[in-house]
Amino acid sequence: MRKVLIGCLISFMFILESVFLELLPTDLFGGNLIFVPYFLLITILFFSVYGNRNVGVIYGFVFGLLFDIVYTEILGIYFFAFPFIIYIFNKLMKIFHSNIVVVSVMCLLAVSALEIIVYQVIKVINLTTIDFANFLHLRLFPSLGLNLIFIVIVAYPYKRLFEKYAAELKE
Amino acid sequence: MALIGFSLSDRNKLTWPEQFVKDTTGWVQTLVSRPAHFVVGFVDNVKALKDTYEENKELKAKLEENAQLKYQVQGLKKDVQALQETLEEKESLSDYTLMKATVIRRNPSQWTELVTINRGENDGVEKNMAVITSAGLIGKIKSVAPNTATVQLLSSEDPANRISAFIQPKDEEENKDKTDVFGIIADYDKETKQLIMTWEEVPNGLKVEKGQLVTTSGMGGVFPKDLAIGTVEKVEPDENGLQKKVFIKPAADFYDIEHVMVVDREALSPEEDEQ
Repeated sequence: MRKVLIGCLISFMFILESVFLELLPTDLFGGNLIFVPYFLLITILFFSVYGNRNVGVIYGFVFGLLFDIVYTEILGIYFFAFPFIIYIFNKLMKIFHSNIVVVSVMCLLAVSALEIIVYQVIKVINLTTIDFANFLHLRLFPSLGLNLIFIVIVAYPYKRLFEKYAAELKE
Repeated sequence: MALIGFSLSDRNKLTWPEQFVKDTTGWVQTLVSRPAHFVVGFVDNVKALKDTYEENKELKAKLEENAQLKYQVQGLKKDVQALQETLEEKESLSDYTLMKATVIRRNPSQWTELVTINRGENDGVEKNMAVITSAGLIGKIKSVAPNTATVQLLSSEDPANRISAFIQPKDEEENKDKTDVFGIIADYDKETKQLIMTWEEVPNGLKVEKGQLVTTSGMGGVFPKDLAIGTVEKVEPDENGLQKKVFIKPAADFYDIEHVMVVDREALSPEEDEQ
């Protein structure tokens, strides 16, 4: 039962990213900052820490591919980046204590890592002309702020939900 | 890596699994985004109620102007028709029909500015058609699935995203003998949110100044003539000094898009793939 619920939750986050962007007021903070929601990645990261790592990586593959087909139309970038980030994230989490604050901070680091990887790929295939300094203050910092707010809201409910799932799995 | 290469190659059609996924997710997203828009729309409406009185006054004044314009347009239309008949020319570059569509999703990663609309191949949408809002041109169709289509906005930094445009003379009475300035819009400045058009300056006295209107030229093949793009903001020589860079403030808002129209150009052009 909880399995289906988690699948639905992740799919909902996938859709929410796009809906959120459509509904975001356009003239926020002068209007030229770019806010990138990473609700989907954050949800899968929390799931992979508190729930099940392998299933988390599989979710990364599936939704990375969906993300590429549906949103970016450039196949391969997120399909590769999502599982990669999730895997590295879990390797690193073995070093740290999986305290909720540590996980949240690591989530922000993962978001930055994903942003920088994708920026480099996009830059290489010549789809953007924005330089690194502008990328940092127009795109990365505003996005981190937005995702921090999201993490603060969802961190505790996610932890409880996914821990219950893990407990159910063990029984 | 191979996949990235494959999707960057200039392909004309999406593969069928892509089309299928796009359509299915499109359907689900319509289900979610409609109620969301409804709720937000309601909140906006309540806010808008406050300004209603002021707006009403302004609108009434505009309405009177409009009535006059309507008669003028009718007169002009008749003139054009009569002239076309005498010339035995049925279609012009500016003939087109409009198809209404609603935006159902937007690319969250925002590297390529893509939005998806709820019309597709079954409704007659084709690749490279122009897409406009009531304010002006916003982009062109990038790919088509049976029931959805993806629009690439002008704000996309894709170098393949080019539009042939011209700058209209500012004062029609004074510059009657001067022709329009042609150029290609190929870039977008993210910081100032302005389009950049390159234009080769030829020494025939043409001048570009702030405030001039920019429209599509209809020369590219699929875009009709005279769709509004924006107004000139400033002119600068480019890095090597051979061309001029014209910064254009877009007429349409690329961020707050909900209802759009797909432009179907009636005059069939044989070189449709040239765009």
